[in-house]
Amino acid sequence: MSQGEIVAGFLAPHPPHLVYGENPPQNEPRSQGGWEPLRWAYERARRSLDELKPDVLLVHSPHWITQQGHHFLGVPHLRGKSVDPIFPNLFRYTFELDVDVELAEACAAEGAALGLTTKLMRNPHFRVDYGTITTLHMMRPQWDIPVVGLSANNSPYYLTTEEGLEEMDVLGQATRRAIEASGKRAVLLASNTLCHYHFSKEPEPPEDMSKEHPENMAGYLWDMRIIELLRAGRVRETFDILPQFIEEAFAEVKSGAFTWMFAAMGYPELAGELHGYGTVIGTGNAVMEWNLVKAGLARAA
Amino acid sequence: MSIVCACLLPGSPLPYVRRDNPPWGALATAMEQAGEIVAACEPETLIVYSTQWFAVLDQLWLTRPRMQGLHVDENWHEYGELPFDFAIDLELAEAVIPATQAVEVRSKGVDYDGFPVDTGTIVANAFLNSADRYRLVVASNNLYHDWSTTHALGRIAAAEADRRARRVAVVGVGGLSGAFFRGAIDIAEDRIVRAEDDAWNRRVLDLIVAGDGGKLLEAVPAYAAEARVDMGFKHLAFILGALGDRYAGAEVHGYGPLYGAGGAVVTFRP
Repeated sequence: MSQGEIVAGFLAPHPPHLVYGENPPQNEPRSQGGWEPLRWAYERARRSLDELKPDVLLVHSPHWITQQGHHFLGVPHLRGKSVDPIFPNLFRYTFELDVDVELAEACAAEGAALGLTTKLMRNPHFRVDYGTITTLHMMRPQWDIPVVGLSANNSPYYLTTEEGLEEMDVLGQATRRAIEASGKRAVLLASNTLCHYHFSKEPEPPEDMSKEHPENMAGYLWDMRIIELLRAGRVRETFDILPQFIEEAFAEVKSGAFTWMFAAMGYPELAGELHGYGTVIGTGNAVMEWNLVKAGLARAA
Repeated sequence: MSIVCACLLPGSPLPYVRRDNPPWGALATAMEQAGEIVAACEPETLIVYSTQWFAVLDQLWLTRPRMQGLHVDENWHEYGELPFDFAIDLELAEAVIPATQAVEVRSKGVDYDGFPVDTGTIVANAFLNSADRYRLVVASNNLYHDWSTTHALGRIAAAEADRRARRVAVVGVGGLSGAFFRGAIDIAEDRIVRAEDDAWNRRVLDLIVAGDGGKLLEAVPAYAAEARVDMGFKHLAFILGALGDRYAGAEVHGYGPLYGAGGAVVTFRP
């Protein structure tokens, strides 16, 4: 078996509004569209993912919050209906997915070996959270690639931001080791929004794009600064200012997915490709790709 | 006044799913005692505010006539499923929704098949309403609401119940001190993880029992900050709002650890 590798990482935020705007058959509510620039960004990301031909998608979601350790979906096949507790009017999605349990177990074992508390989620009645589902749907609506789902341990909120993100760094290292040992081609999906300031009232209808804009200018400026750094491949600098960004822009990257993904990839000083940026109820969302195959850091399929 | 009693309950599933573990079993027994006290007050409706039902846009209230399903806790999935099946007091819930405009809070009803009722609400209903005697009004915890807004929501819900002469028990579901064990422990040896949190919890429970509202309210901000109290103790704000900040007596039926965090079962007599 050849060594497995990470072939790409995507910043792939999860506003359920994007699924709602797309009107896929799995989602009950119907819309008149909305948030098209972000949905078109995901169309580009989908094409790129298709070319990468991964064996597995790993997604770290801030809406599966765990207190005791880092959890991994550990049931071979999960199905059900996931209703977003925050936006139930927008997201009532019938999901069905295959889990790469072998890789999930390996990630958990490697995490434990590095000193993390890890746990496999073995309950077949578990409702997969809307963050995981939205990111996966927007990246691969065919649902034909097995998945490893990771919870967001609340360490960045329970401990200091820095301490929590150090833990996510270790989780990333563990993930990389497990992927390498698996022999599989893996794509990492960091399900995070950037600036997370948002409106407190929802327009009627929710897809009224005349009401959509950044919640505040400072947050928007922060998002542009971070995106510019990432587009320039200044990854170390991005991580140097990440705690300040989190603090001042209330950035959702605090929950750890972004750090987990970059730690797993080894923080390559690699220019990210911005597929698109847009706001959702005022929050800043960027769909970005770090293609390690194009950069010569991973093999083509 | 139509509030016949009130309760403060922990929202952790551990006493419900592992009552065989002595530290958690004691809290389960205490919640059953609270259930007996509620039953003796003969409410028609339980108004439940659970810290674990998060909302960020608007204030949400369940408005589906009957909530049924199977929930698996996000953190404690290894302990099995939490089935739920309870009726909503639709008339009261639908009356509260427009009434919150009085404090500039926009409320919305939630009436969707498959809606994920939170663990805290399910556990509270299981202990207080296992025979399905009462209907429920269930309020979300908007993460951006502070103590005073939550207090106002409790007051408004109680006022609407009063307007309809509805006999209601108000149930605040949430924890005390919020520090917890992050790794594996021997659950039989569970304890409040920090001694200073234990002292804070006991002090505040004593203040609740003493019924000295002034001292209690004075202590809450420091308690919430220093003991990292679950959601700033907003579940108590909801209860006190519903009770009009006055009660004839309060009794602590149980207090103990929930994987290092604090939980207490308290009943209030209006």
